[in-house]
Amino acid sequence: MLSLTLILVAIVAFYMAWNIGANDLANSMGDVVGSGALRLKQVIILAASMELLGAIFFSSRVTKTVAKGIIPIEIIDPHIVTVGALAAMLAAGIWITIATFFRMPVSTSHSIVGAMLGFGIGAAIEGVIPWNVINVQALLRIFASWLLSPFAGLILSYLIFMLIRKFIFNMVESVDRVERVFRYLVIASSCYIAFAHGSNDVANAIAPLSAALGMMGDAVPVWILAYGGIGIALGLATWGYKVVETIGKRITDLTPTRGFSADIATATTVIACSWFGMPVSTTHTLVGAVIGVGLAGGLSAVDLSVIRDIVYSWIVTVPVTTVISIVLYLGLMGVGL
Amino acid sequence: MAYMRILKVFSTESPFRPLYAHAEKVTETVHKLRDLIDAYVGGDAERVSELSNVISDMEFEADKIKQTTRERLPSNVMLPVERQDFLEFLKPQDSIADCAQDVARIATFRPPERLPQDVEDGLRKMVEVIIETVDKYLQVVESFSQILEGSFRKRDVKMVLAMIPVVEKLEHEVDMIQLGLTQRAYELESDVGALGVTHLLQIIRMLGEVADSAARAGDRLRIMISRK
Repeated sequence: MLSLTLILVAIVAFYMAWNIGANDLANSMGDVVGSGALRLKQVIILAASMELLGAIFFSSRVTKTVAKGIIPIEIIDPHIVTVGALAAMLAAGIWITIATFFRMPVSTSHSIVGAMLGFGIGAAIEGVIPWNVINVQALLRIFASWLLSPFAGLILSYLIFMLIRKFIFNMVESVDRVERVFRYLVIASSCYIAFAHGSNDVANAIAPLSAALGMMGDAVPVWILAYGGIGIALGLATWGYKVVETIGKRITDLTPTRGFSADIATATTVIACSWFGMPVSTTHTLVGAVIGVGLAGGLSAVDLSVIRDIVYSWIVTVPVTTVISIVLYLGLMGVGL
Repeated sequence: MAYMRILKVFSTESPFRPLYAHAEKVTETVHKLRDLIDAYVGGDAERVSELSNVISDMEFEADKIKQTTRERLPSNVMLPVERQDFLEFLKPQDSIADCAQDVARIATFRPPERLPQDVEDGLRKMVEVIIETVDKYLQVVESFSQILEGSFRKRDVKMVLAMIPVVEKLEHEVDMIQLGLTQRAYELESDVGALGVTHLLQIIRMLGEVADSAARAGDRLRIMISRK
């Protein structure tokens, strides 16, 4: 029975990784496709490898935070942890599916954090763990990082684009030529953002899996990180191209210099968050960064209603995924899994 | 899932593109005044009324583009210029076409009179300079759309600012012609009658308004971009 649950967790984790690759990756590579500097196939290979590298070399801390930072899995029976991990994965997956159905954009990072918390609360309700071991402080730190990361993206991209304006645009005769050069720099900045994305978002898929596998030490085994990374890469290769294509065609305003500024700001912020083990939303950070470029006078129009959507997604996602996760966990335990 | 949000930020359509399209349509409308005045001084009432309809249709199209431009300015959209400045600038640009339409309408109110040669020439000359004014104005708007690319770097702003006085100089030229024609019109009572003079005066005055509007729009554009 235990191994069956574990296999289920592994399958759902891979599916989650695939999903992240299919949807989220467009954020990083959309502007490369838009700039026409590379062919779609090249973009996909490049993005997939950078994601994988980011996942393998940089995602261990975020994974650790999600896997055991909120709930002290060490003190829980491994079988219960496996059931809890399954409940958390399913809860996050269900919520994301529902949200997608209603065209409500939500963050995978937020969903999985809420879902892991739900597992903890479920375990506490059952009396498996005492209430006070749920790490509220870690949760508050994560919430703070959700608030701060878009702002960090905004400020950084504002500064970067201002520098480009002041020191590059003003020096040259034609802005057009700068843009042509930046078409190639966008390839580098997009790789950077794909790496950053891999370093942070892979945790959303594999943290519960590594919890279920009884992650006791500090380091997450590399093969688990690679497993998630491959899932993301596969998601991009099989489905992501559709999304990347749509976005690439629609980002006409985001010229290479603007895309570059937003990319560097986002990737730097997300990598910093990975370093501190904070599971943040790459998308939210990127939105902040795009607004930063707009504030620096770089865009002819920015739709700010997106800020409202982000705040909604913060408010709704955590409670909902927590509740679904509690129900699923108690349900799964109830049927004797 | 997440990409939809990104799509939303990026796909917000710029109001600056329809703004340029609007300026183009307005210019096109003004160009039609050449044919109209030709028909008018040629005494071809039928042709005048025909052209008046054409101009009216063009003005209507310009209005539609103006609507699109305004629709792209909901309060949640952030622009690189002040929203109020933008709207204050759109208004006089739109009135260029409105005034052209008024010229055409007024021209249909009364059958054209046989005018002395110098007055004919004066009207033709006035229309030519008006067209020149509006063409120059369109160039200004075109350059303005391009400075968005360089996100308002100083040299581009300076270049556009330097173009605006040319529009104003041409408008002044129109003013001078208008002055002469107005004076001359009062001498025509014995040729075309008092009502004929009144009609001519109205046409001359409205023609002057076309160039005036272009100069005003240029001035609003100056206010909008010199804040950057």
